[in-house]
Amino acid sequence: MKKILYKVVAILVLTATISACSSDNDDQASGSGKITLEFDNAFGSNDLILQTQGNKTSNNEILKITTVKYIVSNVVLTKADGTIFTYPKEKSYFIADESTKAGQDFELSDIPAGDYVKVKFGIGVDKAQWQLGATGQGDFLAQAQAAGMLWNWTAGYKFFALEGNFTSPTVTTAVPFMIHTGQTGTDYNYTEVTLDFPTKALVRTNINPDVHIITDLSKILDGPNKIKLTDYNTSGMGAMIMGGAALPLITANVATMFRVDHVHND
Amino acid sequence: MKKIIVLSLVLVCNLTFGITVKDSISSFTFQRMAMMEDFDCDACGCSASGGSMGFSSMLNTNFVGVRYFHQSYTSRDGIFANSPWIDENFNTVQAWARIPVSKRIQISALVPYHFHNRTLETGTESISGLGDISVMGLYTIFETQKDSAVFTHKIELGGGVKMPTGKFNEANNLGTVNKSFQLGTGSWDYLLVSEYVIKRKNLGLNTMLNYVIKTENDQKYQYGNQFNYAGTFFYLFDLPSVQLVPQLGFAGEVYATNKQHGLDLPNTAGDILFGKFGLEVGKDKFSVGVNAMLPINQNLSRGAMEANYRWSVNLNYTL
Repeated sequence: MKKILYKVVAILVLTATISACSSDNDDQASGSGKITLEFDNAFGSNDLILQTQGNKTSNNEILKITTVKYIVSNVVLTKADGTIFTYPKEKSYFIADESTKAGQDFELSDIPAGDYVKVKFGIGVDKAQWQLGATGQGDFLAQAQAAGMLWNWTAGYKFFALEGNFTSPTVTTAVPFMIHTGQTGTDYNYTEVTLDFPTKALVRTNINPDVHIITDLSKILDGPNKIKLTDYNTSGMGAMIMGGAALPLITANVATMFRVDHVHND
Repeated sequence: MKKIIVLSLVLVCNLTFGITVKDSISSFTFQRMAMMEDFDCDACGCSASGGSMGFSSMLNTNFVGVRYFHQSYTSRDGIFANSPWIDENFNTVQAWARIPVSKRIQISALVPYHFHNRTLETGTESISGLGDISVMGLYTIFETQKDSAVFTHKIELGGGVKMPTGKFNEANNLGTVNKSFQLGTGSWDYLLVSEYVIKRKNLGLNTMLNYVIKTENDQKYQYGNQFNYAGTFFYLFDLPSVQLVPQLGFAGEVYATNKQHGLDLPNTAGDILFGKFGLEVGKDKFSVGVNAMLPINQNLSRGAMEANYRWSVNLNYTL
């Protein structure tokens, strides 16, 4: 009997040893793969639902949002060892649009294999790019025009657009609002965001990670700068914020509205 | 998630027979005298899928049996506060047998068949098929021999393996919170079990601890290791024509974090404690049992998944 007991113990120990050794995977990363940046628009803790959902701000304004668009640009990925990969600039302009699937997932190809830990991107089109002139914009100019993200060439791109209607304690009948950021005579209003990944994104020839980014639109009005739409509804016809001193404040808020919720390594 | 599922399975297993859920906890069945049979459930990854294993018995009885168990969960399909909650139903039919190979050694095998469904906003999704088959050996390290003893004790230790016979489909783990909507973990997993039974006259207490070591599957997914525990009081009414064994106890499961490509997956750990109760009825060589488990306290997937209940019914035949 004792012999049998020893055997049982030996098997258990062996089992534990085998299983303890089996989970390492140090693939030496080589080649390249793809990575997808998924922009999932939200309002506070809720997923954003266009048109129907009332979204409440800290100033008790209730927003029904019809349009959310923003230009995502100049993507830079950083590996765990600190190596930086700058996505080719000519491919690095995207228009996020809540109303289409294509406006939520941006697939970046030919990414060198590696373990990535953070991403940096811009919201808007950087000044250097704009200064290349209309002919220097490639296809993106037409794309932005089609999406309504260009005022005109001299006025420039709209970097971020949020539209809908709202009510407040003093505005009891819903009126429209439009928030458009872009350059003004005094401010350029392009901003960049750096986000750490909660889990490494393992880019391999056979693993194409999906980085799930949540864009919390409540931050536009309830970020570091508090914005009250009611204050801009001076005519009673709606709040239109498209220039002036409000844009740098909103731009500062834009920079705080992104976070990476999780990374799929599939 | 899988961990959770596994845990859930374990819990279920426990309830049912003591074990319906993943790694089971133990459960009982009894025949003739009160016998307890434990099983482990293997959930597929964790709680949900459910394979279970049976492993021990109070009597040195050989038996074969069939049991059905059902697990009900509600999980949040998404990462937002306003993401929809969906109902998930895990159904398992399992054949199992326990065969003594010597006075102190028993071999137990469990073959589950799962048919699960969940109601997504886009429609009902179903999976069905063979689950993970478990085989384990148990060794009785101590057993009170004297009939005159006031208390009798029995201690068993064992180990086994759960084979990846159930299909693991990585796609089922995308998007939704519950990572156990699978037929199997897809991995070779190892079971360490222990059981202690103390009896005084017709009253007994069965306590069980077991641990499931899960390995990485070929899709580089690894469910978290799982710890299961249970304690069940039982009483034998030895009537002239039948034996009745009511049971009351608790069962718990603790799941470690799942991994993919060796990286921790957030919000996949969890724990749950169930209360369980049941009744076994034995006559001649047959016994029939019914068990239910209700959660007392749970923290699965950081609140994004809730176990509602588990119940089981089984029929055993003493060889």
